[in-house]
Amino acid sequence: MTRTPGPAGARDGIRSDQISGVFLLLLALYVGWQDRAFPVGTLADPGPGFMPLLIAIFLGVVGLLIAVFGGKSEPFSSIPWPEARRAVLVLVISVAGAFALERVGYRLTMIALLVFFLGVVERRHPFAAAAVAVGFSVITYYVFSTLLQVQLPHSPWGF
Amino acid sequence: MAETMQNLLLGFSVALQPSVLVYAFIGCLVGTLVGMLPGLGPLAGISLLLPATFGLNPIISVVLLSGVYYGAMYGGSTTSILMRIPGEAASVMTCVDGYAMTQRGRAGPALAIAAIGSFVAGTFGVFGLMLLAPTLATFALRFGPPEYTALLLMGFLVLAYMTGGSMLKTLAMAGFGLLLGMIGIDAMSGYTRFSYDIVELGDGIGIVPVAVGLFGVSEVLLTAGQPVPPKVQKPTLRELIPSREEFRLSVWPILRGTLIGFLIGIIPGSAHIISSFVSYGVERRISKHPERFGNGAIEGVAGPESANNSAAQGAFIPMMALGIPTSPIMAVMIAALMLHGISPGPMLITQEPELFWGFVASMYIGNVVLLILNLPMVGLFVTLLRVPYSYLYPCVLCFCILGCYSVNNSTLDVWIMLVMGGIGYVFRKFGYDLAPVALGLILSPMLELSLRQSLAMSAGDYGIFLDRPITVTMLVISAVLFLFSLKPLFFKGKDWRADVGLDEKA
Repeated sequence: MTRTPGPAGARDGIRSDQISGVFLLLLALYVGWQDRAFPVGTLADPGPGFMPLLIAIFLGVVGLLIAVFGGKSEPFSSIPWPEARRAVLVLVISVAGAFALERVGYRLTMIALLVFFLGVVERRHPFAAAAVAVGFSVITYYVFSTLLQVQLPHSPWGF
Repeated sequence: MAETMQNLLLGFSVALQPSVLVYAFIGCLVGTLVGMLPGLGPLAGISLLLPATFGLNPIISVVLLSGVYYGAMYGGSTTSILMRIPGEAASVMTCVDGYAMTQRGRAGPALAIAAIGSFVAGTFGVFGLMLLAPTLATFALRFGPPEYTALLLMGFLVLAYMTGGSMLKTLAMAGFGLLLGMIGIDAMSGYTRFSYDIVELGDGIGIVPVAVGLFGVSEVLLTAGQPVPPKVQKPTLRELIPSREEFRLSVWPILRGTLIGFLIGIIPGSAHIISSFVSYGVERRISKHPERFGNGAIEGVAGPESANNSAAQGAFIPMMALGIPTSPIMAVMIAALMLHGISPGPMLITQEPELFWGFVASMYIGNVVLLILNLPMVGLFVTLLRVPYSYLYPCVLCFCILGCYSVNNSTLDVWIMLVMGGIGYVFRKFGYDLAPVALGLILSPMLELSLRQSLAMSAGDYGIFLDRPITVTMLVISAVLFLFSLKPLFFKGKDWRADVGLDEKA
């Protein structure tokens, strides 16, 4: 969806700092609410809930100040998001990779991830994608697992 | 002084062992690559190499990781000069005049001066570290919990004041980091806080997944899908030699940059980044021909490059002497030492002289390695830059997953990294600086513990913070800084941060 600039005199819309400030305020309120579970103690004898509450108050106040003084920041609608779709796609594929890592093992996960990134997201030549994927997976496994003795997950099929 | 020399000899006897030398070399090499590749800064690079140090002894680990650190500082300048791409944030200022020099066909001298400046600054930085760290450590032996509380508070306010961009936003990010640090078991009462019944969260959130997420993954997300990098020109060895005039112009900027960088390096914050901005601002201001800046003034390369390198060394002082990280990078370094059962602090230098002095000596050697590694091999490195980014970033991302997973063999760390990557991406779009998050995360348990210990010492009397001269001094400085940080909200007009160009960077 693209925003067309409104007619002259229209509001610039909400400002970026107002959004982020309010978000931080909400986060602080949420933490403050969650903090009920722990005894706050007194000023003289702080309990486990003391610092989180203190920091949440601090964050809330700062968030509020950012929002209040954010009237002159750039309008939210002017932040460009040209890479957002790809960023979300990359993140989703990585999440799938994280999910697969301990289930199908390091090498298979890395091959699958790289084939997806290079072949599907970047539309590189399938041959090149496959070569990079297999090469990266085998070389890093050799360096980290064999040479440096870092434990990496294996697949149920043993490799 | 005689004692220092003797210690230094001990250090060199450690650092000149072949195995240590080899790892110093590898560290510098990897660091240079990390600094040159977009999407991987020194912080993410160090975090990712952390698992690789598990099987090594502590001295070698520190030598390797610090080699990566200052190698990356240097690598970042190469891409800035040749391609106008800052490989990492500290090189932003180098881009301006460095790239202008490249366009005028003076890429070689720019690279050479950057390398020489880094070398001079690095050597002086190590020298300062050698002299200051033991003194500071002796002084810090008198520090009790109240002093640490005041020091940490002061650190945060200095950080907020020194970081580029809005101070409120920096404080907000520090607050966010402090909250993240609250996750896990409370050391004093045994309560598990904000763990949402995930057992592994009882230990708290590690610095590595957060650092890699915030600085590695979010960078990849921001730059994914960018067009192919521009053509790179490859200077030959003969073109590297600067003219006599260029040398003459660079001497003072290098020395000033070294001093500025070192002083800023000791202060908490993203020291190496700020120092390069400050140095550039200073050079532009005192130059008789400020109009040359931006059009290829060699001073604009010499100053910032020296500053960021000596700041990189200066930052080790509080880390080694007080056990307090002044930047996220130092936080990861501390994590690396702790993995080997060594906790940095005032006792480190006396208890582990081989580690400390070996490390100091290895930094001398690292500086030499960088100088002889980088200049002749610059052509080779440049060839690597021709790898298209669409091939590079998937590999970087896979490296991030590998690195985070293998620190604790935990998938949870990978999840944390991805979540932090997403959060970092959005925050950066909104113009927030992320370094305070990582710093807040690591400092928050220290701050809480020292505050509560202080109160336990005084039976709940806050007067304990006012009885002690060191504490009072630090609290007064904090209060003054806090008032300064409020100033731009109520008074219009530029302060020094705008003068040196700190505000230009979001």
